[in-house]
Amino acid sequence: MQPIDTSGRVVEVVPHPLPYFSLVLEGPPAWRETQAGQFVMIETSAGLEPYLRRAFSVHDVSKTDRGARIELLAKIVGPGTREMAHKRAGDTMKVLGPLGKPYGAAEARPSALVAGGVGSAPLLLLGRRLLAEGKRFDFFYGGRSAIDLARSAAFAELARESGGEFIATTEDGSAGERGLVTAPLAERLRQSAYGKIFSCGPMGLLKRLAEMSAEHSVPGEAALETEMGCGYGACLGCAVELVDGKIALCCKDGPVFACETVKW
Amino acid sequence: MVSGADSGGRAEATGAIATPCAPDLSVRLGNLVLPNPIMTASGTFGYGLEFAHLAALDRLGGIVTKGLSLVPLRGNPPPRIGEPRGGMLNSIGLQNIGVEKFLADVLPGLGKFPAQVMVNLFGYEFDDYARLAERVDSFAGIAAVELNVSCPNVKKGGIEFGHDPVQLERLVRSVRDVTGKPIAVKLSPNVTSPVAIAEAAKAGGADVISAINTVLGMSIDPWTRRPSLNTTRGGLSGPAIKPIAVRIVHDVAKKVGLPVIGIGGVETVDDVVEFLLAGASAVQVGTALFRDPRTAERLVDGLASRLVEMKIERVSELIGAVRPWENA
Repeated sequence: MQPIDTSGRVVEVVPHPLPYFSLVLEGPPAWRETQAGQFVMIETSAGLEPYLRRAFSVHDVSKTDRGARIELLAKIVGPGTREMAHKRAGDTMKVLGPLGKPYGAAEARPSALVAGGVGSAPLLLLGRRLLAEGKRFDFFYGGRSAIDLARSAAFAELARESGGEFIATTEDGSAGERGLVTAPLAERLRQSAYGKIFSCGPMGLLKRLAEMSAEHSVPGEAALETEMGCGYGACLGCAVELVDGKIALCCKDGPVFACETVKW
Repeated sequence: MVSGADSGGRAEATGAIATPCAPDLSVRLGNLVLPNPIMTASGTFGYGLEFAHLAALDRLGGIVTKGLSLVPLRGNPPPRIGEPRGGMLNSIGLQNIGVEKFLADVLPGLGKFPAQVMVNLFGYEFDDYARLAERVDSFAGIAAVELNVSCPNVKKGGIEFGHDPVQLERLVRSVRDVTGKPIAVKLSPNVTSPVAIAEAAKAGGADVISAINTVLGMSIDPWTRRPSLNTTRGGLSGPAIKPIAVRIVHDVAKKVGLPVIGIGGVETVDDVVEFLLAGASAVQVGTALFRDPRTAERLVDGLASRLVEMKIERVSELIGAVRPWENA
């Protein structure tokens, strides 16, 4: 579907706790078609800082009587996200979307979903889709500290419902296993074969996951985050270098890329 | 209703006050007539057609294409954009599909809109500009060419010609020799005297001055210590640069005697009026389109309403109508 440029009404802001929060927006029925991995461009501030809209993965979608609700999972990192976190029910915000290419199909064998921090955002919708398709998945969730594992309970529930496991890691050991999220993944990659690794998180993590995908011959798909100007392919700002030497746009050709195509 | 308190409502109810005539928004850029003075700036609207689902192209006065070169360009490595307060810093590096693909695949689709299509041309070598202009000259769908001699994001070509009046005059003349289409020259603000550069463009045969291209800038992330752009320096655009643009438009319009297109931070009707008063005959909307793809059409409507409010029949009456201080 074509993205639509519209305004959304704030239903609520839910702290997870802060600095992580969910912003729930109500909008047109077209939002119901949003697929896992797609994103929206939000005008976080009517003022000059930030001047441009910000891209947010759609975390969850639900149907309402007259339209749809989308939930965005975000972290306060600057003036835009701070203003977002202070929105009140009934406020309106400009929303352009859904944009971008979604995650592709899972294989017959179970999938591994791997999230680093707030990179978990698009993986809830993916988990819901896999569950609806009757596909099993394990969910790996890594963060610096317990607070960085926002919405853990929801991810854990989905993974278990699918017949899979939920594995949390923190660098300080305050929740789950101490260490990086790649450690338990590596362990399981040695024991059992996944059909695909779906990921989202910091570039360092995605790069390591791409290497692991190649080492174990398990295809990987990663949702990338880049600086983004417009979100709809006009500014050419969100360049991603590919192994074939070409330049892709994160907003149009991504944000989901097959790991082996990206020059990490 | 309280008698007389709401004349608008009463007029509607009784028809006693005639609806004012729609103001005349058309403007001239030399021989070129635009249906209205709102254009999209090069590099901010792709080649025009990609965003037909997001913006009403039939409302625009003019469309300037993404800078075209003889061969497709890959552009600069990421990161390509930064976001200082009130603006945008970019180093795209003129990534484009090349002139041939544009002529074959894009131009035919642009024909159905009333907007005048201006192609922005960029070259690495001196001769590239004339070759590009010659290549597009026979296409009726192209109303004018805009020479990019001011992109700060490529090391070679372009800006070399835009910073040197002697070279620029020769360059414009080489293009003048091969095309009858109006020539706009896009000025760099990163020079001591933009007026001198504009004079050189005029001497070479330019018909229109587009002012300004991005302002050379830089920003650094205080935590990672990295410049926000891979190329370290890049072009600043958006509201942050508007006063620089207004000053250059004003000076060039006043001293050079060519029609000027105002570019730099145009986002509101006030901005449009300000550029017109400074001496611009039209404006180009750029970075604001990234924030809201419908900015340009919004400005067309807003400008019409503003003229009604100001009781001005023709938008051209505002051009250069700044009221200088008596002691200035």
